[in-house]
Amino acid sequence: MKKVFDAVVIGAGHAGVEAAMALAKLGNRTLLTTLSAEAVAFMACNPNIGGTAKGHLVKEIDALGGVMGEVADEAAIQVRMLNRGGGEAVHSLRAQVDKNLYHRLMKLRCESTEGLSVLEAEVTDIVFDGKRVTGIITANGDEIAAKVVVIATGVYLDARIITGGYERKTGPAGFMRSERLSGNLLKYGLDIRRFKTGTPMRVLSRSVDYDEMELQPGEEGLPTFGMLTDFTPENDFPCYLTYTNAETHRIILENLDRAPLYNGSISGIGPRYCPSIETKVVRFKDKERHQIFVEPEGKDTNEMYIQGLSTSLPFDVQERMLHTVKGLTHAEITRYGYAIEYDCLNPKCLDASLRIKGFEGLYAAGQINGSSGYEEAAAQGLVAGINAARYLDGKEAVILSRHSSYIGVLIDDLVTKGTEEPYRMMTSRAEYRLHLRQDNADIRLTELGHEIGLAGSDRYERLLKKRGEINALKALFDKLRYRVTELSELGIEVGETSKVSFTVTELIKMGIETKDIRKLISDSDGYMTESVVSAVIDVKYSGYLEKEVRRVQEERRLNDYRIPDGTDYSAVDGLRTEAREKLNDIRPMTLGQASRISGVNSADITVLLIYLKKKRGV
Amino acid sequence: MSDVIVAISTARGEGAVGIVRFSGSGADKVASQLFYRKNFDFSTAESSKLYLGTVSAGRVSDKALAVIFRAPRSYTGEDVIEFHLHGGRVITEAVLETAVSLGARPAEPGEFTKRAYLNGKISLSAAEGVEAIISADSEAEAVAAYRALGGELDRTIRSAEEMLVSAAAMTDVALDYPEEMVEDTKPQIRETLIGVKGILNSLIWTERERKMVTDGVSVVLAGLVNAGKSSLMNALCGAERAIVTEYAGTTRDVLRERLEINGIKVTLSDTAGIREGAEGAERIGIERAENAYKGADLVLFVMDGAEPESDEERQLYNKISYRPNIRVMNKCDSTAYPRNADIEVSAKTGENMRRLSEMIAEKVGIAGAKTPPLVRERGLHAAKKALEAVEEALSALDKATPDCLAVDIKEALSGLGSITGEDVGENVVEEIFSKFCVGK
Repeated sequence: MKKVFDAVVIGAGHAGVEAAMALAKLGNRTLLTTLSAEAVAFMACNPNIGGTAKGHLVKEIDALGGVMGEVADEAAIQVRMLNRGGGEAVHSLRAQVDKNLYHRLMKLRCESTEGLSVLEAEVTDIVFDGKRVTGIITANGDEIAAKVVVIATGVYLDARIITGGYERKTGPAGFMRSERLSGNLLKYGLDIRRFKTGTPMRVLSRSVDYDEMELQPGEEGLPTFGMLTDFTPENDFPCYLTYTNAETHRIILENLDRAPLYNGSISGIGPRYCPSIETKVVRFKDKERHQIFVEPEGKDTNEMYIQGLSTSLPFDVQERMLHTVKGLTHAEITRYGYAIEYDCLNPKCLDASLRIKGFEGLYAAGQINGSSGYEEAAAQGLVAGINAARYLDGKEAVILSRHSSYIGVLIDDLVTKGTEEPYRMMTSRAEYRLHLRQDNADIRLTELGHEIGLAGSDRYERLLKKRGEINALKALFDKLRYRVTELSELGIEVGETSKVSFTVTELIKMGIETKDIRKLISDSDGYMTESVVSAVIDVKYSGYLEKEVRRVQEERRLNDYRIPDGTDYSAVDGLRTEAREKLNDIRPMTLGQASRISGVNSADITVLLIYLKKKRGV
Repeated sequence: MSDVIVAISTARGEGAVGIVRFSGSGADKVASQLFYRKNFDFSTAESSKLYLGTVSAGRVSDKALAVIFRAPRSYTGEDVIEFHLHGGRVITEAVLETAVSLGARPAEPGEFTKRAYLNGKISLSAAEGVEAIISADSEAEAVAAYRALGGELDRTIRSAEEMLVSAAAMTDVALDYPEEMVEDTKPQIRETLIGVKGILNSLIWTERERKMVTDGVSVVLAGLVNAGKSSLMNALCGAERAIVTEYAGTTRDVLRERLEINGIKVTLSDTAGIREGAEGAERIGIERAENAYKGADLVLFVMDGAEPESDEERQLYNKISYRPNIRVMNKCDSTAYPRNADIEVSAKTGENMRRLSEMIAEKVGIAGAKTPPLVRERGLHAAKKALEAVEEALSALDKATPDCLAVDIKEALSGLGSITGEDVGENVVEEIFSKFCVGK
């Protein structure tokens, strides 16, 4: 008998698990398919979650009611806060994560989610009734009925891994690849392209001379990714720092003719932000050394990840260059680095809800959309899952704006501008960086998550508490006034001043540190740490936040303005031809998105706004 | 809540009446700083009634009628205030400029009508008309017009833009790759910002220079000390009808006369003679002269035929040669050292002066101040905003964290972007990858 589900999610990577759990939690009978049950939420590359901009994504996923943050806390073996020097807006939490544990915990979560089934199967085709999704077909010919399908195939579509002259038609880490789905997607008229990424070698821990490297311990007292996490993540596994040298570079340069990236055997487009070591050495000839971090892959393994040496050079060259590096001279390779090429979609074929345009019930999330990174994938998975569920419920899609979240920036960039290389989230891409902080992810998003139905009452109540505390604290900061003498008794120096006393607000703006500010609030322990942190940052940044707000307001107005599906741009008088073509191509969901399409100017937007108002009025 | 916009709403040129119109909440606050009438206050003034008073805007003062149309019973549906001034661009533009300095924003093309529509003040059929008014090209036209001010200007703004992009990239790279070995970029950022500040200052100065001569095209006399610029100026003024003598607001070092040459309104400026090794006040005069060249639609390069050609003269010509120019050899009555010139004249005897007038008219006739004042005003407004942001960035460099610093740098970039019509914010990420070796 044919199996019947509300939704099928193809692929159980970081995007797929979020999408599937969101769909199931929102009340839909959901099937999550995976090529291998051992590959559920598998971390195929680096053993960490978070970091600059990515840490923000994880906090946002958590604020909306996604799972990545909580599982990362549970599987963490070291935590650090990056970017302390950059300012609070860019403080980025990063956890070294036990890969196996992460996989197991995430698999267990999927298995424990009511309404969610996990099936090891290769999906080869999608079934339609006209343009409406009705199900999928698996490699053994089974048809499974579903009203929505989320494609989250990661780097598995027609994947090929390459090391030197050796190549193999598999997915990452030897997992099987998806053979036929990509060809069928092409058949349905989707714009398929070929991207490339890579991974470094792993080495045996006992063959590494840690004494010759710089120790990178974790930090204590950090916040967690999950707002409901009520334990302190593990923090006992250090990383190590070492460097390449002239000899390493010489070996690489001498063997460039054997490098697939340079001898033409790889044609896929690789990411600039995650270059292989050969690319770094070629492009930045003047740089005398490059950083290498040696990071644990997990607690129950002796393998170490060699961050910074991503490469597809031949096996012997990998060995030789590795052995030139201080601390790694005797390192024993357990897995060689490789490049991986895969098929993905041109994300411009998606709308801002991550639905594939021109079809009903078809969504895509994760690396198939041209992004890169676990966090980027998970964020998209969550949004695709939410919107697929809303489609099933006949509700309007949720579109996260650029001023609401990094997730909004990520998706808007992908679907509006497209990408010519695997897309990585960077704080530089967010124009409202000061507003989009880790500490206020819940303030920005949890209410929405609650409305959607993913953030439960526990999350929502915590949000209300935090919001209340922040407001109370800000009022207190304005009221509390201290004399300079009182301050110096508390060990707080304000420097040369003609003033006798200061309010706490003034002290914060003068740059007095949060730990000192805490001393000034009599019952500071009565507040949650995160409330104090957010309140202080809000006050400290108020001037700059206002500058950002001035710009955000105009955008918010445009972003809130939905463009109805099926708007006929050829009927809009006064649009320039270029704008008309671009609008027809991208089919933006909001005026804000329309305004960011290259080739559409503000006069076009005004024309469009007037046209839409007119249509609405009639 | 909408900000206060301002524009000259009468046609450009020499009409009998010129109207400057404001719209937005707070329009009364801006207008009351410009308009004076005994016991009068916009907040209590009767709606739709004309009041006679005085408008003062910088050096211009004019008897004028003011009227307030209170929201929602106005054209735009917001508080609208109009000044009915005497015609002529000098007055209306001075009022516009002052209004902007008081916080009003120069209106975008069609913005009054757009607001009227958005506030439900005009009908659907009228709205169709709006589409034509804001005919999608208008913004592109505005940008094009700004560009038409000169390739030099465009290059200047672009170089400032590039520098800002590199400063933003230097700031951002450290934020996105805190673990990478990126050296301390602060000194470089500072240097870059100081460079941009210089460019913007000079740009704004040049624009001001240009605005001073709004009523017509700007012709600037350039040359070495004693080349005979002043006598040539007098000769040109004598031969033509001088409209105003000693244009108000003239700096000590740059003298201006307004005249009509073959029917074209021209402001003729005599600059300080250029001399090597000048110091103090003279040096300042020379800097202003150089700024005046930049703002000029045409430079008359005056050479003294009685003296031999010098290196200084050649260097000076090289400096101005990028501007449209005419090489004029003066004192042709006593030429001892003939050299390459477009025309030889004698200010003293009047020889060939008629022909010089014709050449000036030919050369400037095409340029004839095509740029609508609002476009210039917007450009200047944007440049000033950018400069402000750069100055704030410079002061933030030592005090604020890099995430805040980046806000100022990006604000400056968006200011310049609104002049060139291009969003270069995107380029920051490009720049990061091309300049820095980052990524694991």
